[in-house]
Amino acid sequence: MMHFPSRRTVIGAASAVTLLALTACGNVAGGSSDSSKYPNGPISLTVGQAAGGSTDLIARAISEGASKTLGAPMPVVNKPGANGALATKEVAGKPADGQNLLLVTASLITITPLAVTADEAVNIDDLDIIAGLSQDDYVLVASKASGFNSIKDLTGAGRNITFGTTGVGTGSQLAQTVLFKQAGVKGTDVPFDSGKPALTAVLGNQVEVSTIQLGEAMPQIKAGKVAPLLVFSEERNSFLPDVPTAKESGYDVPVAQYRAVAAPKGTPKDVKDKLLAAIQETFKSDSYKEFNKKNMLTPKEISGEEVVTQWKDYAAKYKALVEKYDISLSGTK
Amino acid sequence: MDFLNPVINGFAVVLEPSNLLYCLIGVVIGMLIGVLPGLGPAATIAILLPLTYNVEPVTAIIMLAGIFYGAQYGGTITSVLLRLPGEASSVVTVFDGYQMAKQGKAGTALGLASIGSFIGGTASIIGLTFLAPVVASFALDFGPAEYSALALLGILLVATISNGAKTKALIAAAVGLLLATVGRDIFTGESRFTFGNLELADGIDFVPIAMGIFGLGEILYNLEERHRAAKAPSKVTNVWPSRTDLKQASGAIARGSVLGFFLGILPGGGATIASMASYAMEKKRAKQPERFGKGAPEGVAGPETANNAAATSSFIPLLTLGIPANATMALMFGALLIQGVTPGPQLVEQDPELFWGVVNSMYIGNILLLIMSLPLVGIFVKILRVRAAILAPVTALITLLGAYTINNSMFDVTLVVVFGIVGYLMKKFGFEPGPLVLAFVLGSLLESSLRRSLLVFGGDPTGFFTRPISATLLIVFVLVAVLPGIRSMLAKGTTAPSEQPITTKIKEKV
Repeated sequence: MMHFPSRRTVIGAASAVTLLALTACGNVAGGSSDSSKYPNGPISLTVGQAAGGSTDLIARAISEGASKTLGAPMPVVNKPGANGALATKEVAGKPADGQNLLLVTASLITITPLAVTADEAVNIDDLDIIAGLSQDDYVLVASKASGFNSIKDLTGAGRNITFGTTGVGTGSQLAQTVLFKQAGVKGTDVPFDSGKPALTAVLGNQVEVSTIQLGEAMPQIKAGKVAPLLVFSEERNSFLPDVPTAKESGYDVPVAQYRAVAAPKGTPKDVKDKLLAAIQETFKSDSYKEFNKKNMLTPKEISGEEVVTQWKDYAAKYKALVEKYDISLSGTK
Repeated sequence: MDFLNPVINGFAVVLEPSNLLYCLIGVVIGMLIGVLPGLGPAATIAILLPLTYNVEPVTAIIMLAGIFYGAQYGGTITSVLLRLPGEASSVVTVFDGYQMAKQGKAGTALGLASIGSFIGGTASIIGLTFLAPVVASFALDFGPAEYSALALLGILLVATISNGAKTKALIAAAVGLLLATVGRDIFTGESRFTFGNLELADGIDFVPIAMGIFGLGEILYNLEERHRAAKAPSKVTNVWPSRTDLKQASGAIARGSVLGFFLGILPGGGATIASMASYAMEKKRAKQPERFGKGAPEGVAGPETANNAAATSSFIPLLTLGIPANATMALMFGALLIQGVTPGPQLVEQDPELFWGVVNSMYIGNILLLIMSLPLVGIFVKILRVRAAILAPVTALITLLGAYTINNSMFDVTLVVVFGIVGYLMKKFGFEPGPLVLAFVLGSLLESSLRRSLLVFGGDPTGFFTRPISATLLIVFVLVAVLPGIRSMLAKGTTAPSEQPITTKIKEKV
C-alpha cells in the first residue's frame, strides 16, 4: 500500500511540469475566416530580431497599446535570423486572417537584397503593410582616440580608417561604404553582430568609427565618450540638432531605419482597418509618445501604401548608388 | 564602498516576492529532475530551459540559478542514497555518504552536504562580488583580438582538462567547431552547409543541441543500465546533523570553500577536481584516515562544499569574460543569450542591475536550497522508488515538449531527437559530450573574432602579439598546449599520480 500514494505523487508532479511547459508555449489557435469575429484569440506579432533590441522594444510598445483596443492579447514572438528574413518568410506563409502579424524593418526590403542571393531576399509585395511606425536615425560616431571631431577630420586624415558596421546588408554598412566612396576615403569594413558590439568597439577604439542607431549611441554621446560626426537622415534629427546631416556635408546617402506593421498578403480589408484603428489609437497614447521620445525615435506614422512607395524608392536609390560606386556589400570586393 | 551600491540595488530586485517565488520553483523542479539517476546539472538545465522563456530576463535568470543549485544538490541525494552520483563532481561523496546511509545516518550526510554546499557557494559568491568589478575595469580593452585568444584558450583547456581520453575529447571538440560553422556567414552573407534550408540560415540553435545531447542522450543512455545499484531507503530521518557531527565537519567545510573557489575559476570541470582534491586533503589531514570510506562526516562535507564552491566560482569566467568554463556553464551561457543578455566584460558596466541580479540570485538560490532541501528530502526519496520504465518516458516527453516551445517549431524537435541519438552514441563509445558543446559555443566566437581582428590588423597575424592582453593569453595558450608533453618527458620513469584510482572510478560511473 505504501507504493500507491508515492507513485501518484510523482506522476502528479511530473504532469504538473508538463502542464507548466504546455502553458509556456502559448500556441495560437487556428483562426476562422469570419472576419466580423476578429480578433479570434491571441494575435502574434513576430519580430525578426532578438529580444531587447530596438525593433523588439517597438513591437512590445505597439503590442501593449493595440492589444488593449483589440481586446485580445498580442504576444511578441522573437524569431531572429538573416536580418529578419526568416520571420518575414514565415509570417508571409501564414493564413491571411490577421492573427499573425510581423514587425518589418525597411532595411530588410531596401538594403539586405543587395547583400544576399535573390532567393534569400524578401519582397515587400508578399506582405500587406498595415501602418508605418517610426524613423530611427543612424549616426556616425568616432572614438576619442581617433581624434575625429567632425567629418572633415575624417576625410582629411589621409589614411585607411577602420569602420564598424552592425552587420552585412544593414543600413549601417551601406551608409558608411557609400559615404567613404563619395568622400574618396579608404576604409576597412568590420562587421559586428549588432549595434551594441559595434558601439563597444568604438568605445575601446577597436575600430575608429561606427555607424549605429541614435537610441543606442546617445548615452555615450552625452557622456562625451564618442564624438558624433554626422547623421544620415535627410533632415537634422531633433534629438541631436547640432550634428550636421550627410546631405549638408555634401554626401548623397540618405539612410535611416524605418519600421512598419505587416500582415500576410490578402488579409481582408475590414481586418486591416481594425488593426490600423488599434495601432492609430496606440500612436495617440501618451505612453507611446513617451516611448518614442525615450528611444530617440521620430514618429513616421504613414499609411501602408505610403510605406510601400517610399521603401521601393529607397530600394531603387540604393541599388543605383552601389552600382555607381561599384560597391559589394558582401565583402568580396 | 561606492561599488557596493549596485550590489545592494541588485538585492532589491531579487527580493521581490515574484522573483523569490520563481527561485523557489526553480530550486524544487531543479531538485526534482536532478534527483533522477544520471541526470546531472547540465542535463537538468537543458531539460528545464524552456520553462524560463516567457519570463522577464532577471526573473528567468533567478529561476535558472534556482534550477542550477537544485540540480546540483539532486546529484548529492542520489550519491548518498543510491550510490549513483548524478555527475562527476559528486562521485567522491559516494564513498562516505553511502556508508553513512547504510549506518542509518543518511539524513546526517544529506544535512551536512547541504550546509556545506551553502557555505561553499556563499563564499564563492562573495569572491565573485569583489572580483567582477576588477575584471570589468579592463572591459574596453577586450577587442576582437582578445576574444579570439580567449576563445582559443578556452577550447584548448576544455579539450585537454576534461575527464575522458584526450583524443576523443579533441575529436568531439572538432565536431563542435564544425557544427558552429553552419548558417549564413556574418561577414559575407554567404550560406554555409544550409542545403537550401532557411531554418538553418541562422545556424543551428544551441539549445536543441544541448537538450538533445545532455537531456535525451542521457535518458537513453541510462536506460541501458538495467540494474539498480541499491534500493532507496523509504525514510530519511534526522536531517539536522548533531553538534558533534557539525564540529567534526566544520574544518572540512572551511577548507573546501577556499579550495573549491580557486579550482573552480580554472576552465574544464573545476567542480570535479575540487571535490576530489578536497577528499584527498581531508583524508590526509585526518588523525584516523582509516575512518574514510566507512562513513566519515568530513568525507561528505568537504567534497560537497568544494564542488559547490567551485560550481559557483566557475560563474566568474562566464560572467566577467563570457567564456563558459564547463558544460553546465555553456548551458547557462545559452540560457542568458536567450534572455538577450550577453555575458562578458561589458555586462557589469552596461547592465549593472541585471549583472548583480544574476549574482545575488545565487545567494537566494543557495539560501532557498538550504531551506528546501532538508524538509523535501523525504519526497525526493520517494521519486527514486519509481521504476525507470515510467520515469524515462515522462522525462523524454518533457524534453521534447520543451524543445517544441522554443520556437513552436517541429524542426527543433527533430534536431533534439537527432542530437539525442548523437549524445547517446557518444556516451556509449566513451566520448565526452562537454567538449562538443563547449567548442560549439566558443567556435562561433572564435571565428567571428578572428576574422574581425584580421580585418582590423589589415590581414597581419602578428597584430595579436602587439596587444598586451591578447599576447599574454596566447603565451598561456602555447604553455598549456606544450606543457603536458614536457612534463611527461620529465616525469618518465616516475610512478603514476595517486589520484589515478579515483579517475578510473569516475570513468566507470559517469
